[in-house]
Parts: sequence; C-alpha cells; structure tokens
Amino acid sequence: MEALFYVFSFIAIFSALMVVTMRNPLTSALYLVLCFFALAGFYVILDMQFLAAMQILVYAGAIMVLVVLVIMLLNISRIKNIGSDLHQKIIGGLISLILFAEIVIYIINGAEKKPTGIFTGALIKKIGNTQIIGEFLFTEYMLPFEIASILLFVAIIGAYLFAKKKY
Amino acid sequence: MMFWLIADIIKILIVFAGLLGAAAYLTLLERKIAARIQNRMGPMEAGFHGLLQPIADGIKLFFKEDIIPAGANKFLFLLAPIIVVIPALTTFAVIPFGAPVKIMGHTVPLQITDVNIGILFILALTSLGVYGVVLGGWASNSKYSLLGGIRTAAQMISYEVALVLSIVGIIMIAGDLSLAKIVSEQSHMWFIVYQPVGFIIYLIASTAEMNRVPFDLGEAEGEIVAGFHTEYSSMEFAFYFIGEYAQMVVNSAIIVTLFLGGWQGPFLPSVLWFLIKVFFVILIYLWLRWTYPRLRYDELMDLGWKFLLPLALANIIVTGFIMILLNR
Repeated sequence: MEALFYVFSFIAIFSALMVVTMRNPLTSALYLVLCFFALAGFYVILDMQFLAAMQILVYAGAIMVLVVLVIMLLNISRIKNIGSDLHQKIIGGLISLILFAEIVIYIINGAEKKPTGIFTGALIKKIGNTQIIGEFLFTEYMLPFEIASILLFVAIIGAYLFAKKKY
Repeated sequence: MMFWLIADIIKILIVFAGLLGAAAYLTLLERKIAARIQNRMGPMEAGFHGLLQPIADGIKLFFKEDIIPAGANKFLFLLAPIIVVIPALTTFAVIPFGAPVKIMGHTVPLQITDVNIGILFILALTSLGVYGVVLGGWASNSKYSLLGGIRTAAQMISYEVALVLSIVGIIMIAGDLSLAKIVSEQSHMWFIVYQPVGFIIYLIASTAEMNRVPFDLGEAEGEIVAGFHTEYSSMEFAFYFIGEYAQMVVNSAIIVTLFLGGWQGPFLPSVLWFLIKVFFVILIYLWLRWTYPRLRYDELMDLGWKFLLPLALANIIVTGFIMILLNR
C-alpha cells in the first residue's frame, strides 16, 4: 500500500507540473486527466471507492471532455507569447506563499491522530462506503447538500440566459 | 493464495481471448446480417460462407503501410486508438458471466473481480472511451477528422447523462451497486419487467455512446469522409474497430446483467445462458443499425436533451413513488 501511495504521489505531482508547464493546451488538459487518475488512486487506497469512481466519472469523463472540446473548438494549438502581467504575478505569489505557510503549519502541528467515531474501517467495509455517504448526505448534511444543488441550478439558469442573449 | 492467483489469471485470459475473438467475428456477423437485411449474400469467398473473412481482414490490415499524416501530433495520433480499446476491455472485469463453480473444493465466482461499486466502475470507464475518438480526430491534423472529433465529444456528453440516469432505477430496486448482488436479486423476476423505460433509454443511449448508426455523426461517411478515423490506416484503424466491437459486446453484457437476469436461467449451464442473452442483445444492436437512417445533428441533440433526459428523470421519480407505495 505504501509503495502504491508513492507511485500515485509521483504521478500526481509530475502531471500537475506538466499541466502548468506545457505549451500546448491540449497536452496540458490530458495531463490534468492523468492527475485526476492519480487522485482517484489515492481514494481507492483510502477505501473510498465511491469517491474514486465519481472522480473519474465526473471530472475525467465529463468535465475534462468539455474542456478538450472547447480547446478543439478554439483551435489553439500552441500559446505563442505568454504576456507577463504584474497583477497576476503579485496574486500568484501571494497565493503560493499562503499555501506554503499552510503546508509548514500542517507539518509542524499535524501529528498523527487516531480516527475517532463509530465508523471504523471494519464497519465501513461491512456496510459499504457508498451507503454511508448516501445516508449522511440525506440526513445529517441535508441542508448543505440542498444548498449545493440550488447553487448548481442557478448556474444552469445563468448559463442558459447567457447563451440565449442575442447581441 | 496461489490457487486464487492462478484462477484469476485464467479468468482474465479467457475474458480477453473471448472479447477479442468476439470483436473479430462480430465484423463478419454484422456484414452477414446487413447482407440478409439487404437481400444479398455478404462475404462468401474466404472459407465456408466467409468464415475466415475476419482473419483475412486482420492479416490485410496488419501488413498495410502505416501512414502518419504530415503535421500530425505523432504521439497522440498513435495513443488515441489504444485509448479506445483499453476501457472496452477493462469494463468486463466486473461483469459476472456465470454461476460460481466448485474447483478443487474452492467456490470460484465466474467474475474477475466483484468490486462493491460495480456499476459506477463500468460507467466511469465507459465515459473514458470518448477520449480516443476525440484525440484521434484532433491529432490527425485534418479538417474532417477534427469535425468528427468535435461532433463525437458533444454527442457523448449529451447521451452520457441519460445513460447514467437510466440505471438509477435499477440501483434503487436492487439496493446495491455490486453486479453480483444485482444478478442474484433478479432470481425471481428480471429487472426489465420493473424498468422497461430504463431499458429502452439505456439501449438508445448506449448505441449513441458507441457511435453506431443511427447516431454515428462522428464518422458520417456522406458528410465528413470518415470522420475521426479518416487519416487512420493499418493496425491503428483496426484498433478503432476492435474497440467499437468490443464495446458492443461489453454493452450487451451490461444490459444482460442489469436488465435480463444476468447468467440466470433454467436447464442450460449458466455461462451458456449468459452467452445466449448477450448474442440476442447484440442482434438488436445490429438490427437497429441496418434499419434506421442517420439522424441530423440537431435532431440528435434534441433527442438526447429534450426527450431521453426528461424521460430518464421521470422514470426515477415514478420508480421511487411506486417503491414507497409498495413499501419496499
């Protein structure tokens, strides 16, 4: 299991780096798909097969297909000259600083903790993690779940209005 | 431990050989059925009634010159046909193709692996097949290929939603995502009886997912030469065909497992029942292909979004209501 973790980590980091360094947008998008696969691998190691399947089905199978479709429609085969914007540099630098600080704080303070609660690994294996996720979504986390679905619905209506607008 | 390893390897080899052989001979079956529907003989020269035709075709494609068009993205061009084949072959890993058999005191399930999210595994993998088509179209550096790729990408996204939603009714009734459980739930009654609408939607949406007539807008010969595989020749071209026909076998196996009771049936051995049912569903796919003309592109989108999707949603709601009414 540990060896698998390192393999997936290597693939994830490598493909994430390639996404931002590749000049060809389509190759970038494909490396992002590879990155999603590595993440799905992590979920499987963590015994969360449902999340792994959803990661592939939704991100790799649907969203990235849309991204690839848009890249193909725009027909951008290669980014010619990357404009260096001072704004972007400042914001990007700030975000990476914050992320780095978070990682440092996490490494210093985050000691290994024993999982608590009634859902032990054996119990999850017995019931099946899909059932547990479903049960929690429709009982304890009903409100956030519904709010998320309303948000998506609003986004759909918004997209429809934008597409319908005649210029 | 050793026993299970060997058993698994043998099962994998059988499934692999079976799928590739079936994919090869489906080309012959398709031509024979087409010939029968169009009142002619079909391939007759190679072997008895053309029985050696797939082998002849394979040898021909193998020795053909391998042409890569100028300006093509060579790596993606070669990768795309492989991506088409891999999901088609991998999906079969979770499909149970027979009742458990006793070998040397062990009960061996006739299924390569029984993952607890079987259906989702299948859906996730089949959603990846589109990449091969789209990349092949893009990497060829040809207008017709690109058009075919774009059409296919849009079509796949539209029909995948209906495809996934049509299965939800089955999951609700069976109460489990594992395919072995779903088959054993159907020991009294096939799910097609409870889910006739789901079955029809799945049949239509999976035909669209496989890019077959009447939904083969991506390779429409009359409009864009041969669509995404215009520039392909030799074995890469053959890979597209292996992928398409293996996908057809797999989709039929999924339909049999979800709707037609899987390997269950009286008198005959379970594997034989499975094969008979799969063959029957394949015949339906072939029949559809040689009966209906190709849809226009806007008709295709209308059918997917305005008819199949609402119907699939309504199917889920009605199924839920009836299950509550019957207190199941």
